[in-house]
Amino acid sequence: MNSVSPSAVQYMVSGGAHDDKPSAQSRHHNGHGPVPDGIREGSGEPDEVDRLKAKFMSAWNNVKYGWTVKSKTTFNKTSPLFLLGQSYVFNSEDEVERFRQVFVSCVWLTYRREFPQLEGSSLTTDCGWGCMLRSGQMLLAQGLLQHLLPPDWRWSDCHPLSDVDFEVLKPRSPSRPAGMSLPSFSSSWTSPIPQRDLSSGSGESHRRTPDQCSAATHDPQVEALHRKVVSLFGDHPSAPFGVHQLVELGKESGKRAGDWYGPSVVAHMLRKAVARTAEFHNLAVYVAQDCTVYKGDVMRLCESPLTERSESSGTGWKSVIILVPVRLGGESLNPSYIECVKNILKLKCCIGIIGGKPKHSLFFIGFQDEQLLYLDPHYCQPVVDVTQGNFSLESFHCNSPRKMNFSRMDPSCTIGFYSQTKKDFESLCSAVSEALSSSKEKYPIFTFVEGRGQNYGLEGQSGGSMDGPANIFSCNRMSRNNKRGSTDEFVLL
Amino acid sequence: MPPSEKTQHPKPFKQRKSLATRRHEVAGIRTKFPTKIPVIIERYQREKYLPPLDKTKFLVPQELTMTQFVTIIRNRMTLMPNQAFYLLINNSGIASMSVTMAQLYKDHKDEDGFLYMTYASQEMFGHCVGYKNRSVDGAAAPDDLRGSAHDASEELSVILTESSGRFSWSWRQ
Repeated sequence: MNSVSPSAVQYMVSGGAHDDKPSAQSRHHNGHGPVPDGIREGSGEPDEVDRLKAKFMSAWNNVKYGWTVKSKTTFNKTSPLFLLGQSYVFNSEDEVERFRQVFVSCVWLTYRREFPQLEGSSLTTDCGWGCMLRSGQMLLAQGLLQHLLPPDWRWSDCHPLSDVDFEVLKPRSPSRPAGMSLPSFSSSWTSPIPQRDLSSGSGESHRRTPDQCSAATHDPQVEALHRKVVSLFGDHPSAPFGVHQLVELGKESGKRAGDWYGPSVVAHMLRKAVARTAEFHNLAVYVAQDCTVYKGDVMRLCESPLTERSESSGTGWKSVIILVPVRLGGESLNPSYIECVKNILKLKCCIGIIGGKPKHSLFFIGFQDEQLLYLDPHYCQPVVDVTQGNFSLESFHCNSPRKMNFSRMDPSCTIGFYSQTKKDFESLCSAVSEALSSSKEKYPIFTFVEGRGQNYGLEGQSGGSMDGPANIFSCNRMSRNNKRGSTDEFVLL
Repeated sequence: MPPSEKTQHPKPFKQRKSLATRRHEVAGIRTKFPTKIPVIIERYQREKYLPPLDKTKFLVPQELTMTQFVTIIRNRMTLMPNQAFYLLINNSGIASMSVTMAQLYKDHKDEDGFLYMTYASQEMFGHCVGYKNRSVDGAAAPDDLRGSAHDASEELSVILTESSGRFSWSWRQ
């Protein structure tokens, strides 16, 4: 393993803007990487130049947009924070600790550089274009953690939080309220380095170490599963949910490496990726069309034969990840949907929302008050070889929770749900329907409908069984061809 | 070639015609077809991926559900089932797919008597300026390109028709 872990670099680099000392380190690191490589790679071969360019781009990305360098994220100590269906009130260290474990256990996937070339392009990084793919991967990873790991699993190696502050409502006075000192949480840039590697970290967090992960599981088998899940997203052509495979699947939707992706396109890519991974024959991904989840279609998907390998509890029911691409407004988020989005994020069956700010994809995993909690893929890290059995997991987990206002949320997003069993699916339907009915708009964001959709699964098949609307359409289409020219008339349906 | 960047957006219907004209149109068509809902469907101004529709004004049976209606429009644009397509009512909210046009009309009709809908796909996310052109380029499925080239000329004919002062409209029995 490298002597400088990716996450250590990250915090030093991102710390640059606020703190003099880390800033010096970050300059050192930023400068250190590209320059000697540039000399070494000065042979003039085109792909060497590309690689150098990619390196420059990634450094540039991190500074220019990606990793928003900002001050600490402040959490309200009195109002509840929801993270993946659990609520936390930060009025005690135990609560903060409970939150920390869950947050840090989420798989964090970011831009990577210097990975094997993407087929059909010279790209060896997804910096600047792959953020939506990364958000999609994070959503799937969250689903897989729920699918494969015990519900109470927490990453045992988890780090202390960094760059966070906890304040009571309306923090006007400069002095922090007494009686609530959380030294390890308002802490330094260096703390994200795991305790064992830490030479200079705050004594406070050092002292707390033994307790910190006490609730986390140390079961080596479970830990191996965790590692396995992360490795499925490795930046290598053979990783089933890695960027290489996803880009390949995107080609079916007319996308190429380097293109931008949307939350709906990514939802379908994830569906295809899971469907063709033999290992996950007991997991299905359903993507809703036209804001409708057809329960009949989900049932059919989940009931489809598990083949002979009926190792999975023999229930004949596949677990399912339900993805619902939506558009919550025209130019900006329709504010009347905020309440509904909150209610969805409160649900245990919700595994997050892939969306973002305009042009800047984020993975939303919770909220507090009027702010969404997210994982941000816009940090360019060097590739980690996940085929090495003991690869470092550090750069795949984030310990700096961040928030943004709902008002900045881009209306385009895909909402994810997971249900393990048939019973779970039924309760999911009713729980989600209830959350949806909380919309202040007259109509819900999406709906569950009994029966089956018309188009679903017809992809590539000629629609011989099209009924009603299709017929209306077809006669309409004929007439349309007959009366070109007078365009100001009504089209009679 | 970017799918639609070169396409001139016509002014929104509301801006092309005065309130009085629009009211008059609705009154006229409602007497002829009392059971049909007059609907205006326009492309979201910043839409980059969906083709323009050749027509703006639709007369829709009131018992039609949104699901059926969306299917019709999707087919008209020859979209793949996987392609994102959303009809926003008054450019702000999604209508429930099970709701009928009559209900929708009751809840959301404009003061001029039309029901306004905007269609849009989803935004794409990315940052790197260097890749941006490529992305717009490659983002369009071949269908998109075909649809847009075909419809762009019709879009133009809309403008021509109107500028030549032909505001008369006809309909099919």
